[in-house]
Amino acid sequence: MIIETVKKVNNEFGNFANIYLVNSIYNVPKDEANTDYQNILEWVADGNTIQEAD
Amino acid sequence: MSTLEVNKITPVSGGTTVQVGESGDTINIPAGATIANAGTSTGFGDSLRPNVSPIIINGNCAVAQRGTSVTGKTSTGIYTVDRMSAVIGSIGTYTIAQEAQTSGNAFANGFANAWRIDCTSADASPGASDQLEMQYTFEGQDLQVFKKGTANAEKYTLAFWVKSNKTGTGNIQLKDKDNSNRQCTQSYTISSADTWEHKVCVFGADTTGAMDDDNNKSLIINWWLGSGTDYSSGTANHGVWEAQDNTKVNDGGTLNINDNTANDWSITGIQLEVGEYTSSSLPPFQHESFGDNLQRCLRYFEKTYEVGTAPGTATGTGIIRSGGNQGGRTSGRMGDSTTYVVGKRAAPTVVFFDSSGNSGVMSRVDQGSSSSTNQNATLANGSSKSFEVTSTGTSTGDVMNYHFTADAEL
Repeated sequence: MIIETVKKVNNEFGNFANIYLVNSIYNVPKDEANTDYQNILEWVADGNTIQEAD
Repeated sequence: MSTLEVNKITPVSGGTTVQVGESGDTINIPAGATIANAGTSTGFGDSLRPNVSPIIINGNCAVAQRGTSVTGKTSTGIYTVDRMSAVIGSIGTYTIAQEAQTSGNAFANGFANAWRIDCTSADASPGASDQLEMQYTFEGQDLQVFKKGTANAEKYTLAFWVKSNKTGTGNIQLKDKDNSNRQCTQSYTISSADTWEHKVCVFGADTTGAMDDDNNKSLIINWWLGSGTDYSSGTANHGVWEAQDNTKVNDGGTLNINDNTANDWSITGIQLEVGEYTSSSLPPFQHESFGDNLQRCLRYFEKTYEVGTAPGTATGTGIIRSGGNQGGRTSGRMGDSTTYVVGKRAAPTVVFFDSSGNSGVMSRVDQGSSSSTNQNATLANGSSKSFEVTSTGTSTGDVMNYHFTADAEL
């Protein structure tokens, strides 16, 4: 997966659901063993910014 | 023929070995006779892991949940055969397929499917850092039997069937992710074009650096198919573990599948054994049932679609029909939860699809009235066992319809 955008996902109570929506399609859990989450961390380390939830 | 009748044969005084016959002789055990072993036997093709599933998952390439063929690939991914990744780094364009076998040596040995890569846009002059590989990855907790990093460390024997239009030398790299990418390389030769050949490659034991006993990526196998000079300018030290040195991993590799659109490379029957074996002593490939094989693949990837249906296909077959809003019809929020068929290696990345095959969305159904596609679908509380899904789409309904894929690959 080539990451273009990352946005936080909130739960029904308006709190961060520990899910990141990547490229408006991929629901990536905040799990350090998830390789897509690892890639998000690298993407942020490269200077990119995660968008806040709607 | 004379007959020797004795109860016991022992070495001469001071000796410890008894030899039967000479090199080249045949020692016959008659039909109906039994060899009973109460000690330790070696060289009989015995497995150090008897009666368990093979270490390599889907080594016969039978399971391809994501689809059987994709075209135009220029980047890394698992596209067809489960667990088998194409590593493509700025080195041409490829078709990746699950190749059905109907003849040839691999088929004759019980392999009806293979992983295949075809070059469709060549890069005959790759940049220094460009690379092309087929890759398999392991969790560290599945490799503790190799006792890596201990005085009792075991060797690795990797066997596989391979076919290509190119003859020449291919390189294989073992890469230890837990210990600063320590590496061990080995090479094999494709002797005849377009002919399935069986290869057996032995990698040394490594007494340095234990692999983590966890669910993360510990070991990678890379079959190098082409590269720039960053990976081939060194001098390979085949069969010996050493510190990371990328310049050695494809030293002497001549396959260069990237250099012509006529090129292809296929592999199947991938088998990893604990210890050192030759082509004559190698234990038989452990052919699992398709169901057992699929069950192991599900730890890494699961979908709601039928086994032979690619994700994103417009179909209602297999779609999850969730209660959604127990309170009745609504144009507001609906929610429900789903449990995976098999627990995942980690909390997976989930993609939802509506009944038309659109990704990132679901369908909202007003029972007996209408179905609306392209409706919001959001994951919550994702774990390795289950997830919750909600929809805040605007279409009035009382049921959520969605397919999903759950990817927990390494």
